[in-house]
Amino acid sequence: MSEGKERIIEALASAVLNMEEDEAASLASEYIAGGHDAYDAIERGLSAGMAEAGRLFEEEEYFIPELLMCADAMNAALDILKPHLVKKESASQATVVLGVVEGDTHDIGKNLVKIMLETAGYRVIDLGRDIAPKDFVRAAEENGASAIAISTLMTTTMGGMEEVVRLLEEQALHDDFPVIVGGGPISPGFARKIGADAYASNAAEAVRVVDNLVNRGTAERIAV
Amino acid sequence: MEWNGKKRLLTAIEGGATDRMPVISVCQYATYELMEATGAFWPEAHRDADKMARLSAGGATVLGLDAVRVPYCQTVEAEAYGATIKDGGQKHIPSIDRPAFALGEEPKIPQDFLARGRIPAVIEAIRILKAELGEKVAVMGSLVGPFSVAASLVGIAPFLKASLKKPDSLLPYLEAATKTAIQYAKAMTEAGADILVIEDMMASLDMISPRAYKKLAAPYEKQVIEAVGGTAPVILHICGKLDAVMTYIAETGVSAISVESAVDVHAALEKFHEAGIRTPILGAVHPIHALLEGTEEDVAAAVRKSSEDGVSVISPDCAVAPATTIANIKAMAEAAKKIENRG
Repeated sequence: MSEGKERIIEALASAVLNMEEDEAASLASEYIAGGHDAYDAIERGLSAGMAEAGRLFEEEEYFIPELLMCADAMNAALDILKPHLVKKESASQATVVLGVVEGDTHDIGKNLVKIMLETAGYRVIDLGRDIAPKDFVRAAEENGASAIAISTLMTTTMGGMEEVVRLLEEQALHDDFPVIVGGGPISPGFARKIGADAYASNAAEAVRVVDNLVNRGTAERIAV
Repeated sequence: MEWNGKKRLLTAIEGGATDRMPVISVCQYATYELMEATGAFWPEAHRDADKMARLSAGGATVLGLDAVRVPYCQTVEAEAYGATIKDGGQKHIPSIDRPAFALGEEPKIPQDFLARGRIPAVIEAIRILKAELGEKVAVMGSLVGPFSVAASLVGIAPFLKASLKKPDSLLPYLEAATKTAIQYAKAMTEAGADILVIEDMMASLDMISPRAYKKLAAPYEKQVIEAVGGTAPVILHICGKLDAVMTYIAETGVSAISVESAVDVHAALEKFHEAGIRTPILGAVHPIHALLEGTEEDVAAAVRKSSEDGVSVISPDCAVAPATTIANIKAMAEAAKKIENRG
């Protein structure tokens, strides 16, 4: 019954937005029991809820703890929905290699970027934190990435980002793998200076910026 | 009357007029060039008291700042509690690899807390700096605020999540972190620190709501400040956006507030004025836009802008990036020296 389906999808979005982990899980179970398509619930329920949470974050209604709790609710539902996902062969699904620079073990921001990118339909290769520059390049090659996303929270570790760009230039790979940078101390000016292709100030914006990077191709890359 | 860095800074923090605008770096200022200039390098300078002091002294002797400070990172307390620390080598500062506790575990305070990890080296470095430079420049001992230490005890993500749904579960960590901060701060002043800096970087509105700051950060900052009250002035540094909590921060009783350029200093001072608050604000030269990426003229312009906004002491927003040039930091100091400070 599609009415029931739409009701649950809406409730899933609310459960994510309201950080109700148990509610999100039980809605997901109810949805699967009803025989509905898991993809719709992820796309229009969970992702919509997370996108709204991102909007509230940008408006300073929500803060980092709220976003983390929304993500927990989303993941609780996702764990139940995912096994029922009918794999759609989407050659168009772009891959983003993501990680925190060497010397920095802060990964909250990176994890939020991952969640936002995944819910926006990207395949994310999450390298984790404290990642050497060469490992970003290798992972991008191995996975045929469309972009490399690098984060750091500290002014003391920003140099690692420049090193990634330098390695890409040296191996003539920069045109294949545009680089987006972000994190507390990073600015558009810094991104420009180190030769990165784009900058995002938060996880919600990162999705829009990566969309631009991936869809427009090298020639029309947005100015940073 | 003879002015020097120490007298200048202490007078400005009390709200008095000085011969010119004081200039310091509230947070870490070691750079690769400063390591070359002083011959004291990371990672040794994180653990060895002599090297720590030598690198720090460069803040006054090479950079021309009115105060020196130690240490260079924010993991000293977490290590003393038993966190696993990842060495940063020559280029980076140490970071926390694995927190000391899992959320729910009792945060036992080690009996020999002040003898653990790098705490003895920091205390000894303060003693050395005091003996060598203490007559001329202010020696600042920097500790991490209770909210941020507590977060590093269990890991930032679990801590922040619990702050929303189970804030009471965090109280043991906040209380332990407060107790050890008081011990550590007292040891610093006994070793000769003229000023204490509390860096509570996680208590930022970039991370938590104003409500969470008021409930989980401010009361514990206040306890530390009250406990060391009278022994040394305390500068509280919090990163990022703070506009909505500036009054709460002042109400901790802190001697001065160090902010980033994300804060509207002018608006905060107006609010303070209306509320009869006299707490001076320090800042706010952007460590990236101005100090790392800018020209010397950009740096000087950022100094003048901060002064026009009403800061009482010039300082970078936050930790100086280690790739910053000595020339740009000196440009900050020189620009401050041209500014009057009528208190």
